[in-house]
This record gives sequence, structure tokens and C-alpha cells, in this order.
Amino acid sequence: MPLQQGSARVRQRTVLLVGIAVLLGALVLAVVLASLLTHGRHEASPEMLKWKDRGTTKNLQEVILGRCYNYITAQHPELGDKDCLKIWESLKDAFIYKNPCNITPEDYQPLMELASHPIPCNKSLFWSKTGDLAHRYTKSNQNFLTLEDTLLGYMADKVSWCGDPSAPGINYESCPKRSECESNPGSVFWKTASKMFAEAACGVVQVMLNGSVEAGAFRSSSIFGSIEVFNLDPDKVSEVHIWLMQDIGGPQSESCSGHSIQRLINILEERNFKIICEDNYRPVQLLQCVHNPDHTDCRLCTNSS
Amino acid sequence: KWKGEGTTQNLESIVIGRCYDYIRIVNPAVGEKNCSQIWEAFKNAFINKDPCSILPKDYELFINLTLHTIPPNKSLFWENNQLLVNSFADRGRRYMSLGDTLFGFVADFLYWCGQADSPGLDYESCPTTVECENNTVDSFWRMASITYAQHSSGVIHVLLNGSADGGAYPQPGFFADYEIPNLQKDKISQIVIWVVDDIEGPDIDSCGVNTVKTLETRLKTLGYDVTCTDNNKSVMFLLCL
Repeated sequence: MPLQQGSARVRQRTVLLVGIAVLLGALVLAVVLASLLTHGRHEASPEMLKWKDRGTTKNLQEVILGRCYNYITAQHPELGDKDCLKIWESLKDAFIYKNPCNITPEDYQPLMELASHPIPCNKSLFWSKTGDLAHRYTKSNQNFLTLEDTLLGYMADKVSWCGDPSAPGINYESCPKRSECESNPGSVFWKTASKMFAEAACGVVQVMLNGSVEAGAFRSSSIFGSIEVFNLDPDKVSEVHIWLMQDIGGPQSESCSGHSIQRLINILEERNFKIICEDNYRPVQLLQCVHNPDHTDCRLCTNSS
Repeated sequence: KWKGEGTTQNLESIVIGRCYDYIRIVNPAVGEKNCSQIWEAFKNAFINKDPCSILPKDYELFINLTLHTIPPNKSLFWENNQLLVNSFADRGRRYMSLGDTLFGFVADFLYWCGQADSPGLDYESCPTTVECENNTVDSFWRMASITYAQHSSGVIHVLLNGSADGGAYPQPGFFADYEIPNLQKDKISQIVIWVVDDIEGPDIDSCGVNTVKTLETRLKTLGYDVTCTDNNKSVMFLLCL
């Protein structure tokens, strides 16, 4: 019957049109979903934690590897058997993908073991608030070694790093300050390395302190005062020489007879170390004077000789 | 085969590492540099070539990639007193010696050479200056010295060793042959010479005497404003020991 045939064709066309519309709709939905998902993945890690200090040093791997090879090849060939690649891997494993407020000394154990090396007796130089001067001194007088002159300290000096649970596991934007959390990768590293450096010292050890600092030359809160002093081994270390340096032309806040120095001497004597304290130890002061030859403090030195 | 030390082990890692160390930590003011490209340019200067046929200009691309401004009044030239220079310069903070520039920093204290018809580095030995003048390392430092002198300005300092055998101002020498001829006279206001003796060393040369006099005369003839100090104060402090 002509009418019935006509309505069947209309129904067919309608079904076809609806089908096409549904397909198109699904396609559009798929495209929209796909772009949303991929867009989310390309965004620069929005889930990474945000901190107050500078982030991981860019090209950390190249810097650490280069310094390691530089140290064992060009400077200390007796350490030629060290594996710099393994050392880098062990440093990376200590913090990558971890929450940077949860770092422990154990995280650094493999690194410490791979990178540690013996330190000759009578050469250890500790320092507190005198970093610049201490390092200038060891560069011109290679009879002394600060932590930053050992392989571990040399690699890590002035470098920062921290991880994050989300990819890529390293946070180049920011890292926690000590005030945000104490168990951060940098603080834990230096505490652990300092402890090891103190434990390795033998014979006569030296410490350079700052007699121009208002808060006192010796502070119990410093790494020297809280970690290094207590990890010197009385069976290996015989004497502690304190060099109390004042800035040329700077305030003379403290000398060997000062309160904080007396406190340090008491702590050390209790642990059976012999102590000698010297105000403005000459060779280091001369280094200061080389850069301030016209200062009256330096003229006094010349006249008295 | 050759008489000099062979290529330093892990040379590539050391050069690239030092490059990043410099631009990220030592002197970030120089801005972004492509350290891999810099290594390639360095290597291509001497790889696959007879290590006695290397010329300063072979390092031209390397220098172009590592060049940066040297702040005026900070240049510190020297002869025979590297330890003292490092102490004076304070890692570029007080002065910027050649070893404190990016191009000097990446190569300081290293040895390297290649061989003709081989893409590898020679780790066994490298030629010394005596064996051939145009060797890989000397040509590098000639190019670096030329560049350093060309980009120095303001007050120039020269630190000489008054205890050195043969005099404080060596001739031939890098300062005499590659640096003085490349100083840009119109950019330099004054040349300050310091003659410092080694601790407990002999006082062989001083201002106005011997080789130092030769140097002073040469610079004055070239039209520079020259002063010379025997830096006695520094010497006396060091002797105070």
C-alpha cells in the first residue's frame, strides 16, 4: 500500500540520521576527552610540592659526574678506583621520588660508603662561620683538608637537590628550607657527611672559628657544635687546635678567653682531648692581610715582626 | 711514543661537567650555554688530526661558544705563580684570571691530544712543546690567552714571580708573545705590575730591574700608563711566618 511504504522509508531515514548524529556526538566527545587528558599530562607537574628555597641545580648529573671525575682523575689519582657513575646513582637514589621532608641518614649510606676515602692524620680542618677563609687557606696550603676538600664535600659544595613523589621525581623549581622541615635532602646530607668527616679525623685536628660574630664564635646549634665535636674519636684524635680568627678591621667580639670558647674547651676536655687555642693564627691572618695590606691591623703585624 | 702526559681520563665528562658547573654555580651571569655543543667544538679542534699540527685558530668555534664578557678592571695576567694567582683572584670574585673564565675553566690542568687517521683520544702520551710547537694543548692556551687579552679592559693587573729562574718576565712566554700583543690599547686605562717573591724564595727580580725593567719599558713604549709594585707588604706578611 503506497502510504505504508512511504512511512517505512521515513522511519528508516530517521534511524539513519539519528545513528549518524550519535556517532558524531561520540566522536566529538572522544576528541574532547582525549585533549583534556593529554593536556593534563603535558602540564609542568602541577602536583609537585612547592617550597621556599632554590630548587635542584640544573644539570645536576653532569655537574656531579664532572666533579667526581675531576677529583679522582686530575686532583687525587690515588682514588682512581672510585666508580663515579655508581656514586652518582647512589646520590640520586637517596632522594629521587621521595618526599623531601622524609630523608634519613640511611638514605645516604650507600653514597657515603662509595665516596668516602681515608683522611691523613693531622690534616682535618673544621670550620664554623669561616667557610670562605678556611677554603682559601686550604687552597693555598694543601696541608689541610676541610670537608669540602674531600670527594663527598667537593661534589656537593654549593649544589642543591631534592625529590618529589610525582614524575620526574626531581624538583627543579624549589626545595625545602630547614625552617620548613629539618629532614630535607641537603641538611641530612651535610649532617651525615660531617659526622663521617669527624669520625675519620685522627692526630691533631684544627678548627677555624669566627671571633667577629656577635652571637659567639662557638655555637652549640652549628654543625660543628652539634655534630662534629661529638663525633671526634678520642682514641684517634690527640689534640684540638682552635684558630680564633677576627675579621681584619672587624669587631673583636670574642677571643680565646671568651665565654663560648670556654664552653667548647670544657666539652672537649670532658672527652679527654688536649686543647690549644690561638687568637688570629698567624698563617691564616697573613692570608687575610694579603688582601688588606694597608689596614692598620696588618701594619701591626709587620711592625711586630 | 710522545714524551708528555696522555689525555686525561674521562675528559669528556670532566669538560662537560665543568662547563655546567661554571654556568650554573661559578658564574651564572654568563647566561645559558650549550655544553654538549661546546664539548663537540673542543674535540673537533684536534680529533683525527696529527697532534703536532694543531693551530690556535682550530679552537675558534670553541672560543666563540664559550666567550663571555670579562668585567673591566678584573683581568689578572700572571707568570710562574698559579697558586698565588688563585688565592688573589678568589675564584673570580676579586679578579677574573684566565682560569676563571669559562674557556679557561673547562681546560685548566687537563691534557689532551688525538692522532691522525683515528677518531680516538690518545691516552698514552701527548707531544710536549719541545717535541713540537703546534701541539694540542699549547695551541689551546695560545688561543685562550689571545682571546683573554683581547677582551680585557680598564685597569689590567699582572702578577709576576720575583723568585723565578730566568726572571719574573719570561721571554718567550704567554704574556710576552700572546697577551701583550693582543691588548686593546683604547680599552685599557692602566697596567699595574706586581712582583711577588716566593715564600722563602730568592729575590731575583724586582721593579725597575732586569726582566721587569724590560717589561716596563716595552709597555711604556707601547703607550700604556704603567705602575709597578714589589708588593713588599704581601711578601712581608707571608714571610712573617
